[in-house]
Amino acid sequence: MPVKVAFIQLSSCWGCWQSLLDLHEALLDVIPQLDIVFWHTVVDYKFKDLEGLPDGSVDLGLTEGFCRTEEDVHLLKLARQKCKMLVSYGACSTFGGLPALLNLYPIDEALRRKFMEAESVVDGRIPDRVVPKMLDYVKPNPSIVKYDLLVPGCPPEPKLIAEVLTSLLKGEMPKLKERTLCDECPRVKSDVVVVKKIKRDFEGIPDPEKCLLEQGYICMGPATRAGCGAVCPSAGVPCKGCMGPGPNVLDQGAKMLSALASIVDYESVSPEELVKAVKDVVGTFSRFTLPSAIIPRAVTDRRK
Amino acid sequence: MSDGFEPKILGIFCNWCSYAGADMAGTSRMQYPPNIRIIRVLCSGRVDPQFVLKAFELGADGVLVAGCHPGDCHYVRGNYRAERRIALLRAMLHQLGLNPDRLMLKWISASEGAELVNAVEEFVKKLKELGPSPLRKG
Repeated sequence: MPVKVAFIQLSSCWGCWQSLLDLHEALLDVIPQLDIVFWHTVVDYKFKDLEGLPDGSVDLGLTEGFCRTEEDVHLLKLARQKCKMLVSYGACSTFGGLPALLNLYPIDEALRRKFMEAESVVDGRIPDRVVPKMLDYVKPNPSIVKYDLLVPGCPPEPKLIAEVLTSLLKGEMPKLKERTLCDECPRVKSDVVVVKKIKRDFEGIPDPEKCLLEQGYICMGPATRAGCGAVCPSAGVPCKGCMGPGPNVLDQGAKMLSALASIVDYESVSPEELVKAVKDVVGTFSRFTLPSAIIPRAVTDRRK
Repeated sequence: MSDGFEPKILGIFCNWCSYAGADMAGTSRMQYPPNIRIIRVLCSGRVDPQFVLKAFELGADGVLVAGCHPGDCHYVRGNYRAERRIALLRAMLHQLGLNPDRLMLKWISASEGAELVNAVEEFVKKLKELGPSPLRKG
């Protein structure tokens, strides 16, 4: 008996759905078990197709993306109503995601910048007809509806997807790893870490064996949940933190900020130099998780 | 707005110097504004940035972190870590639209009761200028 599945796309880049294709041949085992009842990004489904289904009649719903518009919120609530089990799929759906760094700016300023002031725009105007209304800021989906499972990643890694899908299809609840990324990273770490210079990702050529953080690259490993198999650090690219905060952490950005401040050499890097080296504090440490952070968006202080 | 506005300050003081400094101010019967609520941690290096952000989220108008003078840390390097964390946190607060001056780091030794009094007075004055935190509820 195939499982009834709905794929719900909110505001997003489509990348998480594409990542399903990374399953390659494993897809051949998965697809016959699925009865896709709604996937408006792939087939021309309308909202009324989902609205027409009885409540709780869909076995499994996966959501990709975050709620940027009123329409997204409507669709998300609808999905919760129709699906027995709702799974958040990807970093955007789980934490708010990278595009939600826009929470640092007022939405009217962002719309003006994008549609009126961008260098490529001539006679711009902010679209106001046909398109759904933009929300003032992004809230993480799990604060809008209740989820049964959160699967982070930008996008989730094939191995993680396979694990999650196969256990869900068997009727079991998959478990995320309760450790941080460093735990599964194959790079060699030393006991005492002292970083003399913070490097940007493009500076120099990283040693292929040694821990990237020890080499001065801002690798989010210590503040990020394990589960992706440390693909980026294994390929020589510092972790950006798309798996979200580790277990029992409220704010991934704050944790990474704390970790980085602990490992720099105090004689070589002054506090001012450290701030200068990091450049974009929120964008570096809370890249995927700003809407889930303790302070989830910019506020306006009366006096700057 | 500053009429009648009394800022709420969270103080996070290290056990070995600053908390003892506050004790010194107390036993010497020095007067200072009652706007600050002090909690004690073992070291300024124990101050998780999450504590500071949580305080602001819950409506604190200012956070004062105090520790031993450089070189005096009971745990050798805790205050150097605190110094760098606070610097990054101030940059983070700035991006989040909060005035970074709402977060203050002071070195106060166990004998510097008067320094504590000055720091709190100065901080209260500054926060009265800044007005209530935009994250303050009600």
